[in-house]
Amino acid sequence: MAPVIATEEVTKVYSGDGVPVHALRGIDLIIERGEFTALVGPSGSGKTTFLNIISGLDTPTDGKVWLNGKFLSRMGGNALSDFRRDNIGFVFQAYNLIPVLTVEENIEYIMLLQKVPKSERHERVLAILEEVGLSGMASRNPPQLSGGQQQRVAIARAMVSQPAIILADEPTANLDSKIGADLLDMMYRLNTQTGMTFIFSTHDPMVMARARRLIMLKDGQIERDEVRSP
Amino acid sequence: MMLKIAFRNIFRQKRRTVLTALAMIVGFTLSSVFIGWSDGAYSDIISMFTRNRIGHIQVHHTGYLDKPSLYDVIDSYESIGEKIAGVEGVEAWTPRIYSAGLGSVGDKTMGVQIIGVDVGREVRATRFDQKITSGAIFSETAAREAILGVGLARILKADVGGKIVLVTQGTDGAIANDLYTIIGIAESGDKATDRMACYLHIDDAQDLLVLDGRVHEIAVLVEVLDRVPKITAAIEIQIDDTTLEVSPWQVVAKSFYRAMQADRQGDLIGRMIIMLIVAIGVLNTVLMSVLERTREYGVLKAMGTKPRQIFGVVVIEVAFIALGSIVIGALFGASLNYLLSIYGISLPQEFSYGGIVFQTMYAAVTVRSLAIPAVTVLVSAILVSLFPAIRAARIAPAAAMRAH
Repeated sequence: MAPVIATEEVTKVYSGDGVPVHALRGIDLIIERGEFTALVGPSGSGKTTFLNIISGLDTPTDGKVWLNGKFLSRMGGNALSDFRRDNIGFVFQAYNLIPVLTVEENIEYIMLLQKVPKSERHERVLAILEEVGLSGMASRNPPQLSGGQQQRVAIARAMVSQPAIILADEPTANLDSKIGADLLDMMYRLNTQTGMTFIFSTHDPMVMARARRLIMLKDGQIERDEVRSP
Repeated sequence: MMLKIAFRNIFRQKRRTVLTALAMIVGFTLSSVFIGWSDGAYSDIISMFTRNRIGHIQVHHTGYLDKPSLYDVIDSYESIGEKIAGVEGVEAWTPRIYSAGLGSVGDKTMGVQIIGVDVGREVRATRFDQKITSGAIFSETAAREAILGVGLARILKADVGGKIVLVTQGTDGAIANDLYTIIGIAESGDKATDRMACYLHIDDAQDLLVLDGRVHEIAVLVEVLDRVPKITAAIEIQIDDTTLEVSPWQVVAKSFYRAMQADRQGDLIGRMIIMLIVAIGVLNTVLMSVLERTREYGVLKAMGTKPRQIFGVVVIEVAFIALGSIVIGALFGASLNYLLSIYGISLPQEFSYGGIVFQTMYAAVTVRSLAIPAVTVLVSAILVSLFPAIRAARIAPAAAMRAH
């Protein structure tokens, strides 16, 4: 199976206050389609930096990144925006829904950028809302929802355009363990049903326990890469 | 969707939006009143200047306006006048004769400007009868009568019922003189004119100057001042005579018009001050919004929103506030201008412009007084929003999402 993500000697050095900080030190990694992978490690180990680089939100200081067969380093601003729009879904720790848009508008936003016709957008929003257990909440605004509900909307938003890969940065960190477990179950189910690749950065033992592959980062390097049987 | 986000963003920080809008509304209203006031004042000045004195359009023999000469006359003025009257928008026309001479009353002698007028037409065109401050207006037929400007009468110590001797040169080259009964004193509102003017019945003036039914000028009054350029062109076509030139009031009173235009440049300074008020208010609040929404713009960019779309969201939000402010500002501005156009403001001291004395100034509700502030507020708000919009568009998503 073709890898959905491949990195070669990816290095990232921040030069805050003139002192170079090595966030990533030569990461070589291949992630196959359909994986349910957790990137784990202590704070400052480079998890978020790695997610940002493989999604094209940040550029590596050195090294190469391929995502869904495309060499990211060769892409310009607009091409990269379009590529992210069509290939990656993001789930953030703080949900990051657009507060002035309703649940439906938040979810259909990417499809709107993709110029999906209105009727199809509506149908897909209703279907994904049912999938994430939020039927009947399409017209609500994010501040009217609980944290768990907002994160469900964020997952729906990330998945509705059926991207190749979902990148989730600490998706359960702001949720209590029960809601976190429910969400994780839901993502696991969606991964199994749709074959979408899920990559998490996390501290959460529950996420680690459910992941089929565990990549441990320490000081910007892969310390351990463990594939588990489902 | 971008429009939706921009529009709804307006209501997120209501207090901030209100403050931004207030800066724009105050700027608009001030600008509108400023222009309305200036338009009202200039409209009064132009109206009095043209209606009372020169008319809106004048017809002369070619070259007369630049170098007036007794010999540059209009032949068959009656038929030309009839053609002018046939042009749409013309309200009235009146023929005039001009000559310089000497006027003597008793032992006082003074240089005078002899002005021959057709009394009936002059009354219709310039309300000449209303300028008579004492005595009476001319009889229908010529009767060797004169009406003196109030300043001239004072200098010559002349009064109604007295006699004035006029000495000048006729078109035959001979010295012309005659004795006239002073039947009235006139005040035109222009002190310089009133110190020189000696009005005669047109037939008497033609007799004195040997003009044989010819005149020097036809003054034309139009119904709507703004239509002067079009009517001037129409008259030119209608009379179709290359020996005559048709000039709008702006050409006839060139120096008055230029002085007025120069005065109006003062409007620009007012507009610039208003732009500055708007700019400071908008820049501050928009920068604050962009800073607060850094994370949000980062998320939008992460999802594939293009920088120009983020740029658009910021500019459109400001444009929405500006448009709302313009509507409210227009209501305030138009209402204030309307009130000032009715009640005016009495000046503590009268002032004179172009020889015309004003004691109360009135504003006017004009298209300019709404359109110029609207464009000024919208353009300045959008210009000022460009910098924060560019900042928002350039936000790096990874860094933005780390922002709190």
